Amino acid sequence: MRFRTQLKDTKTFSKLTASLSSLGKVCWMRLEYDVVRFTIIPDQGTQVWAQIPVDTIFEENTYEMESNSEAINIEINISNLNRALRSTFGSSQSQLRLTKKDKMPLLALTVLSTDWTEGNMALATEDQDQSSEVTGDRRARERETRITQEIPIKILHESAVDGLHEPHCPDPDVHIILPGLAQLKSISDRFNRLASTDSKSKFQQTGMVGAVESSTTGANSNSNAPTSGSGLSSSSGPKLELSANMHGKLKLAIVTDELRIASVWSALVNPPLDPAHISEQQLSQLPSERMRGVGEDDESGWAKVRIDGKDWSRVLSVGRLSPKVVACFINETALVLYVYLPGSWNGEESCLTYYINSFAA
Amino acid sequence: MTSLTLSLGPPALIKLHDALTCLSKFSDTVAIEAEHSVLRLSALNSTKTAFASFVCEKDSFFESYSFQAHADGRGSYQTQSQGSERFFCQILIRALLSIFRGRVDRNKDTAVERCEMEIHEDSNQAECRLTVKMICGLGVIKSYKLTYEPAAIQHAVFDRSKTTNQWTADPRFLKQIIDHFSMSAEQLDICAEAGKATFTSFTTKITEGKEVLKYPVHTSVTCDRKDFEEFLIEENMHIAINLKDFKAVVAHAETANATVTARYTLPCKPMQLAYEFEGIRAEFTVMTRGEVDGEEVSSARAVIPQLSQRPTATAPATTPAPISLRRNETPRVAPSTEMPPPPVRARSTMDRPSASASMDFDSLFVPHDDDRQWDEMNDEDEEEPQDILGWDASGQETFEPVLRDIEPDFSKPAASRKGGDSDEMGLPPTQRMSQVRGFGLFD
Repeated sequence: MRFRTQLKDTKTFSKLTASLSSLGKVCWMRLEYDVVRFTIIPDQGTQVWAQIPVDTIFEENTYEMESNSEAINIEINISNLNRALRSTFGSSQSQLRLTKKDKMPLLALTVLSTDWTEGNMALATEDQDQSSEVTGDRRARERETRITQEIPIKILHESAVDGLHEPHCPDPDVHIILPGLAQLKSISDRFNRLASTDSKSKFQQTGMVGAVESSTTGANSNSNAPTSGSGLSSSSGPKLELSANMHGKLKLAIVTDELRIASVWSALVNPPLDPAHISEQQLSQLPSERMRGVGEDDESGWAKVRIDGKDWSRVLSVGRLSPKVVACFINETALVLYVYLPGSWNGEESCLTYYINSFAA
Repeated sequence: MTSLTLSLGPPALIKLHDALTCLSKFSDTVAIEAEHSVLRLSALNSTKTAFASFVCEKDSFFESYSFQAHADGRGSYQTQSQGSERFFCQILIRALLSIFRGRVDRNKDTAVERCEMEIHEDSNQAECRLTVKMICGLGVIKSYKLTYEPAAIQHAVFDRSKTTNQWTADPRFLKQIIDHFSMSAEQLDICAEAGKATFTSFTTKITEGKEVLKYPVHTSVTCDRKDFEEFLIEENMHIAINLKDFKAVVAHAETANATVTARYTLPCKPMQLAYEFEGIRAEFTVMTRGEVDGEEVSSARAVIPQLSQRPTATAPATTPAPISLRRNETPRVAPSTEMPPPPVRARSTMDRPSASASMDFDSLFVPHDDDRQWDEMNDEDEEEPQDILGWDASGQETFEPVLRDIEPDFSKPAASRKGGDSDEMGLPPTQRMSQVRGFGLFD
């Protein structure tokens, strides 16, 4: 088993790992000849299956991968990898390789940085007391620094990952290209805050101590109690309602006893579905085609999902990669996001797929 | 009656706040010691592996400073033979910090213009209070009274003249190194190799075998010696310190804009990180860990005989300040119980001149030749005795007669050590075995 490569686009790699690590720490990383797959399946919340072509993040001509099963499966703490990748910023050369130390498998990142800083230690002129002790070279010059980050990993046998498959979803009712994620996130976060102030005051009714932040009264029965108690514990947030139709409209809404807010985007694109996921003969009978037929103002033309606000916010952290995102709505069931990295919009292979379950009303 | 009165201008107040912030990373309480020419703020961490001290010079740091001590008071002061009086007490850092926090905002009308602090300790007065007055703009005066408590204050003693390894670097450069380390890393290993310095972060915490992914990331940063202003380090010697302490030092040095100098001798001996700026001398004495393998010992050997001549750079002078103990029934440390006497060693007295009793006592704690005895426990938990510094409660590097009071406690191991040369007996032999042979008993 052998893996060694030079890193190409460490900024993208770092952003990718940062987005992934917001969903879960444990990541299954699968190195194949042409693609690298990252999968995070948290106990709760959204799972993500990412497929990145080797040359997106690695120097293809330095990529060496040898394994008798044609792939190397690694379990890694993705936030460790993300943290380590920060060392590569401003570096001239970074190498990632599989290695071993004391029988422990490691993913070693070696960074050679030649212009680490401006090298100008201006302190000599500023600090009179120290100037007499100066012996070092303080002029601006090139510094060479070597940084090694050794990340402990687990090697997974092929049999251990055999049972892991991407979820199967029904055909989407609506598919739509999401608006800019930065905007979507800021609005979602604002809705979350509004609703969580609301739910905080509900806690107060049950005896929690805290400052009253909202005018909630005792009449406020927990409309979303069944879902908020469903095990997401502290990570659980208010539920957002996201809906869309086949006429380029997307609606983000939040409904509590106190408030009902919605933002509507219009003139978005409903792209044709990727033939790789939907076969030709099904195309005509697709629910999305039926939905397209429904009139623009008809309520029944909308597909709706109810998602956890905090989880959604974590999903949207992928916005840092400034991707294009196709959202597939399966009414009242699930939301699947196909996140395409910039530059790979047409290429089907560079894609992160997020599977988000819809909560019951 | 002991009294301490001082006043600070806004810049000094900021520096005091920064220093206290730094000290708060070591301990909850700050020890304040007043002398005629300096005010010392220090903190010792709970595991006694790190000691941070800021010495503020009377003339350059304070706007005014006056200290008077009289032996008739009941306070925590100590009269030295030279006639230099000291007063010491300790205060919760949080209490002090909350007073200084955000008080020097130039944009506000009521920004602090001057800060006055006073301590008056009188045998007729029951309270122990530090009075802090913030003289602010628009005639606002804010007064605070903080309770202090007497304490046995301990200093880590570090003899710079015995330093064998030394480097000096810009704190911003050190910060850049630290930035590469993972947040959970606990230790920092420093090593010089072929003109390069390598800083490696690691964690000694034992993790469950299954939880591989929770193992910490090992990070090593190798940089050129030219990046240091001064770089005199023995090659291939690994020395490790607590990364959190190092971070605290670098963070403060960065705000103070002062280059940091590290001085040390060998692994498992203290390291001192020091810098000076605008009337403050900052010194951090931290315990190191590491291994001395065969090769390293031989290379280190050259310096050892000299180091053994007298109480060494690292030798702790453990004087349990008797006067302060009077008021402090449970002293924070009883140094003699902290550092167990080393096992009987044959070599330890070899190249040491017949030193005075107090010097023997010193070397008993950290004899240079006995390095190896500490080695096996290196990878143990941090609370290991070898990590614990010896402490000088008096803050003086001279030995006061007090020391002799406890001398008998240590005479036994010292004696047995000398005897250990020839056999296992507890007392030194008076006759050679060959001399008593033939009388039947020892045949």
